Amino acid sequence: MRSAAAAIAWEFKQRHRWGLIALIGDVSVLAIIKLVVVIRGVPIHLDSPETFALVVMMPLTVMFTYLLAVFSFGLDGDLSARQSMYPARMFTRPVTADALAGLPLLYGTIAMIFLWLVTRLLALWPAGVAIPLVWPGLLLASLLAWTQALTWMAYPLTGLRIIAAVLVLGLIDAMALLALHFNVRESVMLAILAPQIPLAYLVARSAVARARRGDVPDWRGALAWLTRVAGVASHRRQHFASPASAQAWFEWRRHGRSLPTWVVILLPFELVLLWVAGDSTALIVEILLSVLLTPPFMATFAAAAVSKSSQNASDAYGVSPFIATRPLTNAELVAAKLKMAIASTIVAWVLVLIAIPLSLKLSGTSAVVLEYGRRFSSIVGAPRAFVLLALVLWGFIALTWTQLVQSLYIGLTGRGAVIKGSVVLVLGFFFLFGPVAEWIVETQRLGRIWSSLPLIFSILVSVKMIAVLWIGTRLYERRLLSDRALVTGAAVWSIAVFALYVVLVWWFDAPHIPHYLLMLIAILLIPLARLSAAPLALAWNRHR
Amino acid sequence: MRAENEPVINVSELTRRFGSTTALDSVSLSMPRGAVYGLVGANGAGKTTLIKHVLGLLRAQTGSVRVFGLDPVADPVGVLSRIGYLSEENDLPGWMRVDELIRYSRAFYPAWDDDYAEELRHSFALDPAAKIKNLSKGQKARAGILVALSYRPDLLVLDEPSSGLDPIVRRDILGAIIRTIADEGRTVLFSSHLLEEVEQVADHVTMINRGKIILSASLDSIRESHRVDGRVPSLDEIFVTRVGISAATASDG
Repeated sequence: MRSAAAAIAWEFKQRHRWGLIALIGDVSVLAIIKLVVVIRGVPIHLDSPETFALVVMMPLTVMFTYLLAVFSFGLDGDLSARQSMYPARMFTRPVTADALAGLPLLYGTIAMIFLWLVTRLLALWPAGVAIPLVWPGLLLASLLAWTQALTWMAYPLTGLRIIAAVLVLGLIDAMALLALHFNVRESVMLAILAPQIPLAYLVARSAVARARRGDVPDWRGALAWLTRVAGVASHRRQHFASPASAQAWFEWRRHGRSLPTWVVILLPFELVLLWVAGDSTALIVEILLSVLLTPPFMATFAAAAVSKSSQNASDAYGVSPFIATRPLTNAELVAAKLKMAIASTIVAWVLVLIAIPLSLKLSGTSAVVLEYGRRFSSIVGAPRAFVLLALVLWGFIALTWTQLVQSLYIGLTGRGAVIKGSVVLVLGFFFLFGPVAEWIVETQRLGRIWSSLPLIFSILVSVKMIAVLWIGTRLYERRLLSDRALVTGAAVWSIAVFALYVVLVWWFDAPHIPHYLLMLIAILLIPLARLSAAPLALAWNRHR
Repeated sequence: MRAENEPVINVSELTRRFGSTTALDSVSLSMPRGAVYGLVGANGAGKTTLIKHVLGLLRAQTGSVRVFGLDPVADPVGVLSRIGYLSEENDLPGWMRVDELIRYSRAFYPAWDDDYAEELRHSFALDPAAKIKNLSKGQKARAGILVALSYRPDLLVLDEPSSGLDPIVRRDILGAIIRTIADEGRTVLFSSHLLEEVEQVADHVTMINRGKIILSASLDSIRESHRVDGRVPSLDEIFVTRVGISAATASDG
């Protein structure tokens, strides 16, 4: 290798050769389809949304996400950490910061534009839709460039990177959506997007140069009063009551404060919109809905850190010796994470529930919301309206907690293949969900699906119960949970299911909704299988 | 109550493979109570793999591992609550302060001795308000020794504790071993490739090479059996001789 540029390119190619092969495979499939249609004249119709999504959009999005992670070095690091995610091993190479930042940015830009151009030229796009030639490629490259700048930057507070990424990338996305909506000319889009890459490069270059000299800004001093309050609280308690409470404290200090912090940072940006909403009920409801969705949405990011066994472990996914040698059972280690997630959820929601009425009052929009509530309760009755409000609120809170802990059984396995495979599966599900839903609506199969709901729910419940039985047997055989814990867990779950069933029966008391269907829904809604699999996953990781 | 003469560690025919690499090959080892065991070997010989089995961090693929008569995988609490462990990585959480580390660690061990912990903290000059991540490597090792010793564990396991540390910290670590064995009936398993250290404190030496135990005996009998022309060779010399023989045998094979 004769130059640093060639060496860095070789490293990308060698490390991600399987991804490269997948990209070539994707391009080849598109090329073959095009050749068969154009040259051989074989009639293939890819106009239907589901086929188009499966053949074109899904591979494009998966490859885009993959390239984003590869060229931003986002596969290995901790997104919520303050430190730069640029690999420290590269700082010792005899190259300038310009090259360290510029080369991955250049290779990434080329890869993104190549991905778009081959997809644009080789894919069969729906008839009658004008697909722009250049600017979507530039959009992908801009998103990558800003992701690189934001991931390589060091931050003064933990979690700020995620907030910054949501805001900056969301802004670029919103710009693209508006352009599509208003059919903006390609030249205008080029003028907007083209400067993004050099701008992002300047930020990325500065970030890499600062990270290289170990410069991490620190605002924690400004928040020292918080630390002092926390310190006073911790000094008051000289000793932990039990090993379990010590471990719960450990988890809280490690991960518990992330979610409330992120929620606090995002809330003002959302709630400030109430001041411009006027008396538009629809807009106010939308704003409130987005505020209510913030904790569960941010919990999905926090969950990645929570479910990670340890950030200190040498193999990135494994349990660190410090945690693995705690004289605690696997169930106790998992229980500490569950308790921390409860505390984190409660704190985040207390903040939301204080901020919402306060903002409604101060922005003068409370009257609109109260009137909306009054109208609703006059339709369904006050008790039902109150129960529905409580159920919705409880649903959001439960969803937040579930988001935090539902992937524990994946993350705690400590196996890279399992973790990355689950991410691909989830992405695949989301990409298929939209087209499948559209297909159901367009082909008027909604009625048939509605009538098949009991069968679908029965199958899902059967799968869930078979999984629970399998997991329960393994937990019992390996003595990962005591008999008492197993019985107590089953009893608590049964009571929760029954309570939810009673509420559902009371609320949805309609002749066309059979009660057994509500029971099936209650069984599906109360989590059990994935939670009980967590100690099994940790045991697999801790005792390899 | 288990018999006093029962081995603290009993490893029988333990084999461990990582893919095509055999990390441990039919290793058998029995460590009675109240002695200092030096586990020596070159890098990659299998020392850490053996120690991880003792701690229950690796599950025996074939063979068995018993610590205090218990399976460390099946009963991690029973085993780990009696072991003090300091790893080569010394992965103490960087975000904790020293006093938080002490408070957190003491919750797990009913036998934690506050006075002893405070004495160690003073002698190691550890600032209670200092964050672990701001400590030097040597200070981190001292903090690790503090939490490993303060509950006077029945078994102290030190995995390459001196690796990359200065002579003063190494002296503190050796002092920790001496403190531990000063308490009657306590046992130390000490892995290192710094053989002069092992020579200073070990009663019994086990040499491991390419996953196999090539020599296991008391230090005195090892010295005696390797005496050449009336001169007692150092453990370094004995190790080089034994590993050289082992390597030659392997390459012949």
